[in-house]
Amino acid sequence: MIDLIWLIPLLPLVGFLLNGLGRNVLSKPLVGLLGSGVVLASFLLSCGVFAEVYTARQAGEPAVFIQSVFEWIAAGSLEVSLSFLVDPLSAIMLLIVTGIGFLIHVYSIGYMKHDAGFAKFFAFLNLFVFFMLVLVLGSNYAVMFIGWEGVGLCSYLLIGFWFKNKEFASAGKKAFVMNRIGDLSFLIAVFLIFNTFGTLEFTGVFPQAAGMAMGDTTLLLVTLLLFVAATGKSAQIPLFTWLPDAMAGPTPVSALIHAATMVTAGIYMIARSNILFTLSPVTLQIVAAIGICTALLAAAIAITQNDIKKVLAYSTVSQLGYMFLGLGVGAFTGAFFHVITHAFFKALLFLGAGSVIHAMGDEQDMRHMGGLKKHLPITYVTMLVATIAIAGIPPLSGFFSKDEILAHAFSANKLLWVLGFVGALFTAFYMFRLLSLTFFGKFRGTTEQADHLHESPASMTVPLIILAVLSAVGGLLNVPSALGGGQALANFLSPVFADSAAVTGPFHLDHSTEYVLMAVSAVGAIVMAVVAYRQYAVKGTVPKADDAPRGVLAKLSYHKFYVDELYDTLVVRPLNALSVFFYRIVDRAGIDGLVNGLGKRVGESAQGIRLLQNGNVGSYIFMMVIAAVLILAFGVFNG
Amino acid sequence: MITLTHFLIVGACLFSIGLYAVMARRNAIMVLVGIELMINAAVLNLVAFGRYDSEHYGGQAFALFAIVLAAASVAVALAIILNVYRHYKTINPEDINHLKD
Amino acid sequence: MSAIITLSLLAILVLYLGLFKARRALLPVSLLGLVATVVLYGVQWGKTAEPLYSGMVLFDHFAVVFSVVCVILTILVLLLSKDYFDKSSPHVAEYYALLLFSLTGAVLVVSFHNLAMLFIGIEIMSVALYILAGIRKKDFASNEAALKYFLMGAYSTGFLLFGIALLYGASGSFDLAAIKEYVVSNPQGISPLFYAGILLLIVSLAFKLGAAPFHFWTPDVYDGSPILITIFMATVVKTAAIAGFLRLFYFCFIPLQDFWVPVLLVMTIITLFVGNLTAIVQQSVKRMLAYSSISHAGYLLFAIVAIGATSANSVLFYVTAYSLSTIIGFGSLILVKRATGSEHFEAFNGLAKKNPYLSLAIAIAMLSLAGIPLTAGFVGKFMMFSGVLADYQVLLVVLAVINAAMGIFYYFRVIVAMYFKPLDRDAIVVSGPYRVVFFLAALITLLLGVYPAWLTGLI
Repeated sequence: MIDLIWLIPLLPLVGFLLNGLGRNVLSKPLVGLLGSGVVLASFLLSCGVFAEVYTARQAGEPAVFIQSVFEWIAAGSLEVSLSFLVDPLSAIMLLIVTGIGFLIHVYSIGYMKHDAGFAKFFAFLNLFVFFMLVLVLGSNYAVMFIGWEGVGLCSYLLIGFWFKNKEFASAGKKAFVMNRIGDLSFLIAVFLIFNTFGTLEFTGVFPQAAGMAMGDTTLLLVTLLLFVAATGKSAQIPLFTWLPDAMAGPTPVSALIHAATMVTAGIYMIARSNILFTLSPVTLQIVAAIGICTALLAAAIAITQNDIKKVLAYSTVSQLGYMFLGLGVGAFTGAFFHVITHAFFKALLFLGAGSVIHAMGDEQDMRHMGGLKKHLPITYVTMLVATIAIAGIPPLSGFFSKDEILAHAFSANKLLWVLGFVGALFTAFYMFRLLSLTFFGKFRGTTEQADHLHESPASMTVPLIILAVLSAVGGLLNVPSALGGGQALANFLSPVFADSAAVTGPFHLDHSTEYVLMAVSAVGAIVMAVVAYRQYAVKGTVPKADDAPRGVLAKLSYHKFYVDELYDTLVVRPLNALSVFFYRIVDRAGIDGLVNGLGKRVGESAQGIRLLQNGNVGSYIFMMVIAAVLILAFGVFNG
Repeated sequence: MITLTHFLIVGACLFSIGLYAVMARRNAIMVLVGIELMINAAVLNLVAFGRYDSEHYGGQAFALFAIVLAAASVAVALAIILNVYRHYKTINPEDINHLKD
Repeated sequence: MSAIITLSLLAILVLYLGLFKARRALLPVSLLGLVATVVLYGVQWGKTAEPLYSGMVLFDHFAVVFSVVCVILTILVLLLSKDYFDKSSPHVAEYYALLLFSLTGAVLVVSFHNLAMLFIGIEIMSVALYILAGIRKKDFASNEAALKYFLMGAYSTGFLLFGIALLYGASGSFDLAAIKEYVVSNPQGISPLFYAGILLLIVSLAFKLGAAPFHFWTPDVYDGSPILITIFMATVVKTAAIAGFLRLFYFCFIPLQDFWVPVLLVMTIITLFVGNLTAIVQQSVKRMLAYSSISHAGYLLFAIVAIGATSANSVLFYVTAYSLSTIIGFGSLILVKRATGSEHFEAFNGLAKKNPYLSLAIAIAMLSLAGIPLTAGFVGKFMMFSGVLADYQVLLVVLAVINAAMGIFYYFRVIVAMYFKPLDRDAIVVSGPYRVVFFLAALITLLLGVYPAWLTGLI
């Protein structure tokens, strides 16, 4: 099976070519079959590969398999081969990408049924899976970069796919600029790595790096550049604002690219390069700081968003922040664990939201939803599972992965834990707000929409159910020893993080402390869930229009319980105010302003240079003479 | 006694005069003359240096090539200038600036 | 050598064909002759190369490979020219003949072994191009382009000739081997004249290459010339200029690189920024491509800044990738302009709906120019950058990567216009030869991106 690794990325590429070239010939069912079929085949192959890796790990081997396809670029000292690397880390990523990818392909058959660009959509989706697999499987930084750049390109294409005319220019462009900054930094890091280690192969770089001194300046530079790259792809401060705008794309795209896979590429890359980061503690601190800030900021913003997909988008940014926090405090396994569980429940949430949007006739505003519970029972139940999971309420998967990150954060720095805990409270609040606004209370849409409400077809609900099961039980992958678990995932991944573990030493936290931390976060999450439920489901508060001043919220019409008043003053209003503040000041004005300002500077300097190109031969020659004189003068002083 | 240095100084002066003519003249023909001066300065140098290359006479041979090619490009240049004059009714290079940013 | 003779005779033959009104035979005869030239080169491949004709030219692997690249690019240009000039002028033969003469000059420039041949090659190449730029005699822009090109080109010739004279004065020979011998045997006593000569040659060769601050002719002349001539200038002439540049400096001046590398380093950085910044704000695709060609001249100069044994391969790869994409870029512009009468970005709006394959080819070309992985352009940039890194010019690489990122914006404007801007338009008719050229160029771009080894081991 290991010999067939090259087939795993190749199959989606074949799917892309067939669907792309035959898009006017093939019928829709055939396109869907082809598109999902190739990903399914990749998934089965990945399962086989995973089984072999698993067996090898059980036998106590590190389980690293390298397959070289051919020498890609060879020029002088530079030798880069197109080769694939399978180890425990990439084996799991393979399963996520192809497995969830397959489910989302199946879902798309139903979701995109009426779209004119059906075949084109599947072609792009296949192409994305291809690039993502290249990113995951690459055995060196250059091959990883192919995937890195490729997934960005596909994301751009798929945003543009939906958003044909109006806002596309700005949404797509922003995604583009921010990803470019990241890619640029990745490329510089690649050259710097080559310059330092003389190779780009992971198996060549990491052993050399492990022998370097703690806090080495080159490593610091490399890791900082890689981290900037990761912030671009994984939507962290300051390069996060593109992700919510990218929700312009079709919902399956949001689920696959902007939640489950592409945005986790940054975490995958850092986990892959963990030894470089472990040896530069300054970078790790920055990673942790950026991670926690992003987690809080995005969670706060999510509280007042009314577009169902925007809430999920900010939630994704926030959860990615948690993963970076995990990386920053050295919880590599925990961060990757969260990647896995997040892929399950966030894909589920997006697909569920897609199901709702589908039923509502492309309505995304939660203020026009409500009471959908009885119309969309399967969607409701599955989304409820996902919501509980993401809120960190035991025993669903999110609790375990978030707990592991928070436990590491606690032992690294108590403040990080407190902030992480606050973020978790926000998470529980906005998720239950979303659930309540969507599924509880009275229906607030038009009568036309009410007549049209229906549960989605089986091709859409079956993926939801599968993902719901995974979200529910995913936590069992890595039950902490405090709860009597075997930490299966940690053991499985241990060779990948062995070098880092050797540097940092084993992680230890008192079981009693851990119980307290778990209890606190679980109780906190449940309390916030109840608050949100009372506020938005029982009391039926509907958020005001976007442009109305938020102070009006105080004039809520009637109050059934005194306790609601208290909650309102103590929790809801401050939260809303904070959220609006972050959204208006930091997100829109601050970061977007910065990016726009950068563009303006470039434009201005270009105008300056253009003045020289005035069409006049005389002045051209004059400038060339000056340049020649300067060069000769340089010669006089130098020679 | 006229030494190599004298030739070089004359060559450098010719080159600079040519350069000035190219920059300062408002007439394409005079610009052309300036360019010819520059080329001839180089030719003068070639011949002067060729004095020390008595084995091959490379300098002299090169000078002949340079003169021939310069003549060829002058022929082309005059044709172009004539054609430009037909359209623009001027041969002042500064007035011919429609192509610009 | 037989190849150069074949080319010259071919050009004269084409002139006579024009004289005898055999217009239909012009294109087939030219193509046949060029294919024959490629074959002649192929026969020469692998034999030990000796300087020919008293050391005037040397057909080593470097010369053969770059000559073949020039000839093949000319074949592609000629394929595009079917019915392009028939419409504008009754005397098409002169057009074919001039292109072939210019090509002969280019071939001399890449295979010279004596400064006299460098000078003659550059002159033959340029003089023919002065006429070609103005070949649309009734067109204002074409006339202006010709005048500007001539005035600035002849002026740079002055620098070239003076520089050669100084090198000759210091070393006593025009022969590359003798000049090298002079440099190697007098490490301390190199005459100041020689240094001045190197700088003057840098000025004139940078001019031919279109590198800042000697790039001023490029946008205006590329803009004003007929698009087909622009393609020739942007591909064949640029290839010849960089190859000649590299040949001279690699052969003779490496021991003095501490002296001239700083100059080129500064020029390279200026070139990158001027090209990329100005390209971003252009409204016309033709001018955008002209500025982008300036920035590519900057990337090409990397090979000379980091001069060494791998430079030739990097240049070969880069120039091939760049030229193929440029042919698609400008070639599609011919079609778009014929259909809409405009060269602006808006003229590409909605093209993907009606001409999916043409749009795909253009998209591949733009991705390659932007240096996106899995296209030839990425591998070319990668080779250039890593070559510089080996010389520890980390700052240059950082600046270059920033520029590469800027480049993507203006190339993507074309893609965005084609795919994401809706417009009802009629399908553009793409004639047979255009299909062949675009298909070949796009295919090779992708193949080289995936499997670059086809080309990287040649020299």
